[in-house]
Amino acid sequence: MQPLISLYFQVHQPYRLRDLRITDIGKAGTKYFDAELNRTLFRKVAEKCYLPANKLMLSLLQKYSHFSVAYSLSGSFIDQCRDYGEDVLQSFRALAATGKVEFLAETYYHSLSSLKSLPEFCEQVTLHRDTIRDLFGVDPTTFRNTELIYSNELAQVVRLLGFNGILAEGVDALLAGRSPNDPFAPPQFRLPPEKEAMIEAACGEREQAEEIAVLLKNYRLSDDVAFRFSDRTWVGFPLTADRFTDWITEAGGHSINLFMDYETFGEHQWKDTGVFEFLEALPRLWEERGLNAATPSQVIAAWGKRDHGVFDAHAPISWADCERDLSAWLGNRIQEASVAALYALEHDVKERGDAQLLQDWRRLQTSDHFYYMSTKYWSDGDVHKYFSPYDSPYEAYRRFSHALHDLRCRLATDETTPSVDTVSGPSLT
Amino acid sequence: MFGWEYPPRHSGGLGVACQGLVRGLLKTGVRVTLVLPRRAGSEEEGAEILTPESGEFSVVTVPSDLQPYDGSASYATRRVEHRGTEMEGQLYGPDLSSAVANFTDASVALTQNLTPDVVHAHDWMTYEAGIRTSDHHGVPFVAHIHATELDRTDFHPNERIFVQERRGFLHAQKIIAVSDYTKRILTEHYGIPAEKIAVVHNAHAKLEGHRPTQIFSQYGRRKPPLVLFVGRLTVQKNPLQFLDVASRVHALRPDVQFVMAGDGPLLPALIERTCAMGLERTVFFAGRVSREEGESLYHSADCFVMPSLSEPFGLVALEAAAHGVPIILSKHSGVSEVIDHCFKVDFWDGEKMADCILTILREEPLAMQLKAEAPRILTRLTWQRQAERVRAIYEDTIRSLSTLRI
Repeated sequence: MQPLISLYFQVHQPYRLRDLRITDIGKAGTKYFDAELNRTLFRKVAEKCYLPANKLMLSLLQKYSHFSVAYSLSGSFIDQCRDYGEDVLQSFRALAATGKVEFLAETYYHSLSSLKSLPEFCEQVTLHRDTIRDLFGVDPTTFRNTELIYSNELAQVVRLLGFNGILAEGVDALLAGRSPNDPFAPPQFRLPPEKEAMIEAACGEREQAEEIAVLLKNYRLSDDVAFRFSDRTWVGFPLTADRFTDWITEAGGHSINLFMDYETFGEHQWKDTGVFEFLEALPRLWEERGLNAATPSQVIAAWGKRDHGVFDAHAPISWADCERDLSAWLGNRIQEASVAALYALEHDVKERGDAQLLQDWRRLQTSDHFYYMSTKYWSDGDVHKYFSPYDSPYEAYRRFSHALHDLRCRLATDETTPSVDTVSGPSLT
Repeated sequence: MFGWEYPPRHSGGLGVACQGLVRGLLKTGVRVTLVLPRRAGSEEEGAEILTPESGEFSVVTVPSDLQPYDGSASYATRRVEHRGTEMEGQLYGPDLSSAVANFTDASVALTQNLTPDVVHAHDWMTYEAGIRTSDHHGVPFVAHIHATELDRTDFHPNERIFVQERRGFLHAQKIIAVSDYTKRILTEHYGIPAEKIAVVHNAHAKLEGHRPTQIFSQYGRRKPPLVLFVGRLTVQKNPLQFLDVASRVHALRPDVQFVMAGDGPLLPALIERTCAMGLERTVFFAGRVSREEGESLYHSADCFVMPSLSEPFGLVALEAAAHGVPIILSKHSGVSEVIDHCFKVDFWDGEKMADCILTILREEPLAMQLKAEAPRILTRLTWQRQAERVRAIYEDTIRSLSTLRI
């Protein structure tokens, strides 16, 4: 029995912060985000990745009947499409129209809310689910959390929100020798009643799921493409579609879950590395060899009522770095402080009922802001620094702390932000 | 080894770096004979600390009126001031170039009976001595560059000094630059091939009798926040920018105080400017400070700013890091290549420097993290480790020179 192949691509763009100055704090109408930079970067990635990759994907989906893919589009990405790239959104709609694409649910603002605030998490998931349904006409049934952050408790929360599938990293220590290629289940337990009640209220009319399956990323095969594809020092270089398909077959199991950033195609791995040709060759080879692609919900359906192994994540895991933990976002003092300070404003922000204020606060929740503050690999004196639009983690913190201070000033005044364009997002240009 | 200055008689980082390197080299088993232009102070001090009886280290001083950081103008001034005092030796001539020539002649004569394996010279005034000595002994010449004439003069060099520097670079078998920043200046402005230049960053010498970090009362601060500048008051160090920054910070946080530690030709202008800006109760001039005074300034500082126009290295920043002071550096500096946990700002961007200061003073977690993380670099950046690299460079040049002869 050949394994299914489940491709899921993450599509996300953060709203990067402007070079805010202390003198901007408290001024009326201070903008937090660098519209010009965000537009430039969005257009760059659109031309290099989103548009060409979607075009290729559309032709593959039309040509090969057994080929399908899944995407998760963050709300912040969708907002940026509306601000800077209706063409990109249109190309995703075209993919959706093939009926062979599954769109996953996540927190709208690609946030760390699952770790900090259950009500905020529920609201963002609901907001995202509604947005996806409005855009593509399908209600998502599988959930993926920011950066594949996952824990036992999160799985239960997500189940109670009505999802029957969740994605996670196939962390070796938790697998303890088991294959990541079969669906797992979280340990079963009840959440505290007040939490369950809160989730039930957020779930609305949707039915809560009885069970939830955990699909684990096969990080070896995923990272062969996402990180190592163009690495000339890697023993597998150059990676051909043929060889990669051999590896998939050898890996066996129920499904090979290949999860990666969509920007792998054309942005992380440039066009001239041949990554598009590689992608193009896969479905043809799979068809020749009788391999079928399947989206996460199809993978779960195909597993049916068979027993699940238990995937037991007491502490949160993620898909980041070797540590596969939260240290990329919550690994130092400035990260901890800024996350804590941000969520401390939740009550006041929501109390205010100012849509613009709420959106600004939520855009500050995007995990990238905290990732840019990471100093984790610096102690090695390594050049292996995180990609960031800013000069340094301290610059990231400087800008973020100014934005937060301005937000506090706005909360302290009685004036509501003039709501000119609160529905379509602020006009940032 | 030919040097300019040596603690305790020093006015800049060169003397400190030279001492650190000499001590490091001694630890790696290199025997050093140090030739210095000035007699006063250094002889006993250097000898005392470094146990001359072992015979491994000796200081030869050449009487001369030369001082580091000399340009023709400042030299002429001092000549006038010192006329008729005991400072006047017999070997210096009426102007800077003949003083250099006298230093060179005397140095070459003093060292002609030694048997060095390599000749190492620090900055332009000693290069001629280095070239001639290495010719005399037929051994490699290593030119160490701590600061170029371009750094000192905001790229308006004294032509003679520039030529002398370049001559040293061209004659050297190998050049040691204190930063990639300086290496770039050498390749771009002096036309020196990059492969001839090795970068060895300066290190930080552990201080003896190091006081523990100040413990703050849990019942609030005892003193107003203090922002510190340490350096000679010259164009290169950009002290006027520091005043501009002070006035910007003062406008928003009148409680913040600023201290400028250091001496130099710009002092009168700076004092005048301070008063004109109405900052006389905000900015304080500490003058040249002793090591102890410096220590206590670092201890009470909440933020250290180095706004230099062009800083080949910037040892004071390592000093600040060692004392756990949050640091703001000019991007045009060598030390910014080694200190990661700091703010790096363009030297002209006073507004941003002020913003960084205000952020550090406002954000406790930021200040705490900068305090805690910046000093870590010092455990890797020791003089012994840097001296090992210099020793490897010596061995390399000696090897390649002997290969050439075969």
